[in-house]
Amino acid sequence: MSVEQPVITSAPHPVNIRKMLDGVGNTTSKFTIEGKMAMIGLLIFVMMAIFAPFFAMYPPGKITGESLEPPGSAHLLGTDELGMDIWAQICYGARTSLVIGLAVATIAGFGGGILGILAGYQGGSIDQVLMRVIDVTMSLPSFPLLIVISAFLGPSIFTVIIILVLFSWAKPARIARSQTLAIRSQAYITAARHYGANPWYVIRKHILPEILPILIVSLIGISSYAIIAEAGLAFLGLGDPTSKSWGMMMNYAIRFSAIYFTPYWLWWLIPPLIALIALLLCLAFLSRDLERVLDPKLRALEGVK
Amino acid sequence: MTLLQIEDLKCHYITDTGAVKAVDGISFGLERGEILGIVGESGSGKTTIALSIMGVLPANAQCSGTIRYDGTELSSLPEHEKDTFRWNDIAIVFQNSLEVLNPVMTVGMQVCEPMVSHKGLSIREARKKCAELFSRVGLDTVWMDAYPHQLSGGMRQRALLAMALSCGPEVLILDEVTSSLDAFARKELQEMLLDLQGGQGYSMIVISHDITFVSSIASRMIVLYAGKVMETGPTQDVIRSPRHPYTRGLINSTPDIFIYKDMWGIPGESPTGEHHAGCPFGARCTQSIDVCRQVSPQLTACGDGREIACHRGGIATLMAAKSIEFSYHLPDRRSVRAVDGVDLDVGEGEVLAIVGQTGSGKSTLAHVLAGVIHPDSGEVSFMDGKVHGGNNGHGFGGIQIVFQDPFSATSNRFTVLDAVREPLDINDIGNQEEQLDMTKNALELVRLPSSDLFLSKYCSELSGGQRQRVALARAMIMRPKLLIADEITSALDVSTAANTLRLLKGLQNRRGFAMIYISHDLSLTLKIADRIAVMKSGRIVEVGNAHDVMLAPYDEYTKQLVGSRIGFCCHSHHNKKT
Repeated sequence: MSVEQPVITSAPHPVNIRKMLDGVGNTTSKFTIEGKMAMIGLLIFVMMAIFAPFFAMYPPGKITGESLEPPGSAHLLGTDELGMDIWAQICYGARTSLVIGLAVATIAGFGGGILGILAGYQGGSIDQVLMRVIDVTMSLPSFPLLIVISAFLGPSIFTVIIILVLFSWAKPARIARSQTLAIRSQAYITAARHYGANPWYVIRKHILPEILPILIVSLIGISSYAIIAEAGLAFLGLGDPTSKSWGMMMNYAIRFSAIYFTPYWLWWLIPPLIALIALLLCLAFLSRDLERVLDPKLRALEGVK
Repeated sequence: MTLLQIEDLKCHYITDTGAVKAVDGISFGLERGEILGIVGESGSGKTTIALSIMGVLPANAQCSGTIRYDGTELSSLPEHEKDTFRWNDIAIVFQNSLEVLNPVMTVGMQVCEPMVSHKGLSIREARKKCAELFSRVGLDTVWMDAYPHQLSGGMRQRALLAMALSCGPEVLILDEVTSSLDAFARKELQEMLLDLQGGQGYSMIVISHDITFVSSIASRMIVLYAGKVMETGPTQDVIRSPRHPYTRGLINSTPDIFIYKDMWGIPGESPTGEHHAGCPFGARCTQSIDVCRQVSPQLTACGDGREIACHRGGIATLMAAKSIEFSYHLPDRRSVRAVDGVDLDVGEGEVLAIVGQTGSGKSTLAHVLAGVIHPDSGEVSFMDGKVHGGNNGHGFGGIQIVFQDPFSATSNRFTVLDAVREPLDINDIGNQEEQLDMTKNALELVRLPSSDLFLSKYCSELSGGQRQRVALARAMIMRPKLLIADEITSALDVSTAANTLRLLKGLQNRRGFAMIYISHDLSLTLKIADRIAVMKSGRIVEVGNAHDVMLAPYDEYTKQLVGSRIGFCCHSHHNKKT
């Protein structure tokens, strides 16, 4: 749901909002069981992130117990070496992951999508230039560069978002461009232009609504990529040390010398890992189901109506 | 030399409520040995002309103008001198009906009567002459002693002709002589009249609404409307390429001239003779402009012995394309010349079909003409403005195009309402309610339901035929002056295609817009097209009157195209002429 929320609010026309809400309802009802479970899982993560202070019981950055307490009634998942509550950190970590996933997906997805639509619609040299830039962006090894750039720019959640956006806008742009090219040659676009429609009208009324479903699917892909990348950077110690993130938790846990000789890894290292895997699985299932429902070609193949 | 000359003839019938202008300033001349045809709808003043030449108008008629026969001014003659001209010089054959003949006199007696009274023959001589006349008009002499009601319609018409011929006139006026005759009798009469003209040198004025009959015998014709001459000229030329919108409408209403074409009447009623300013045909005309409502046009010569009364100079050119070229560029740097130097023009209210094989460049040409794509070179002008860079699709009265594929012509995601009113939306025409009304009207025009249920249906839920009609409604909502229909029936099944095509032609006829109909189907175009242009490899190889192109093509390719039709039967109907 959370991933679809921005889509609805940015719908191009007030009348379309109702239609799109209906569309979302219809779409979810066509999901498989995994898809529905993924929706529920995602919802739980969103709740966790939004109401983190409420769920966590303890503030995540405060020493609220003994060092390395095992899970118990006082601390659900125990504490880390400084005596900070693990469960609270997981809850606040969800916040970081989701915010980064959402922000990167929104900016990269819509920014790239709009660039792609413009290039596809306008064609000519703008299109040529954009395509070359996309080619370059997509051929760069993103993760090593990510590490280098974030090391240079210094750790902050904002830099992480910017860097991730710079590396993930190309794919939606390319998708939007190819779709725009296909839609643009349709007779109804020719007709609308013949009636005097300006590019803005054509994009707003015809192209954007048709590309949105496909864009949404790629949006989910981007957000899982962003979440992994953020966790990865944090795990390598390149994240914002003041923020709570799952990657950061794992980083601290691994850095604790000889953690595998102690039982601490069970409640210190495993929970953030499970949370990360669970979130990514939810997104993957959701993306797969959305693709199946929204992509007309797959729909035709499977006979889903 | 001119035998009968009529100058500025005006006849008004004075009624209780005012004057009815039956004939309003008509001038024409009849050459010796010529057959002149006068055609027009009922009420156009044809019979009044005949009666005024004969000087037998009813008492409430007021006439002015001169009628000169062989140098003698007829209208100024006293009544008894007029009488000598009647029958002896000018005779009229009335429309066949029982009322024209005296029911209590034998037919023979009635034929003899003018001879006795005008020529001073004795009854015996007259009867002898009568027998001659009867055999001349192909009537057995036994019928001389029969009463009118005992004769068939065709026979009575012959008897009337015999009566007209009885005093050996020079000029015969035939007023609606064919209206009650069957096809055989009509054909016999036609041959007889041609024989009278050719063999015996009669001059004739044939007055009829039957344009087929008139065109089959007259060498020159006058088209009359509301007491005025709209167009005159050599019959062949007038029929093949009418210049006046009214003439074209009249020809389109006649099934016999272009027999494969469907017939469509002229929409609207002819005026009843009340006085009004401006062109009498203005109200029914598809190309009337301001001046047409204010000043009545004068008959002016327009070359080739033709005259026309129209402020626009006859059927105006709506769109003209000059040396259009367009090439498609393939990825491997080759280019395909789809349109290669095409010159084409479309008149107001005209249906032009562009026919050709797949890949001949028809659709590309259509797109260029609509202004959807820009030609590499050449220019298209529409109503004195350029099409390209113009905004002909933006407002009312422009160019609209309906595309080949109904499924891509409207967006799947649009409801019928959204799809049809899209052009209004784009151009900010009207508020919500006005748009809704216009949408409903447009849907009714294309015979689609205009219920709320239908309006809220998505285009993807409709059938191909329905979607094509939705696209047509979208075009019609802009009230185009020119509609370009690009193979609009090719994706539809025969029945749907037939319905769509008839609907389209009906709309065209009613709304009076011009149409360019692109098709590969010859038979289909023959039904609706006024002119056909045949296209091959980007060039127009032949263009002309639809029936000429189809029945007597001169270009080799057209011949092949015509020959490739299945079940084509060769018919050379209109080539049998004098």
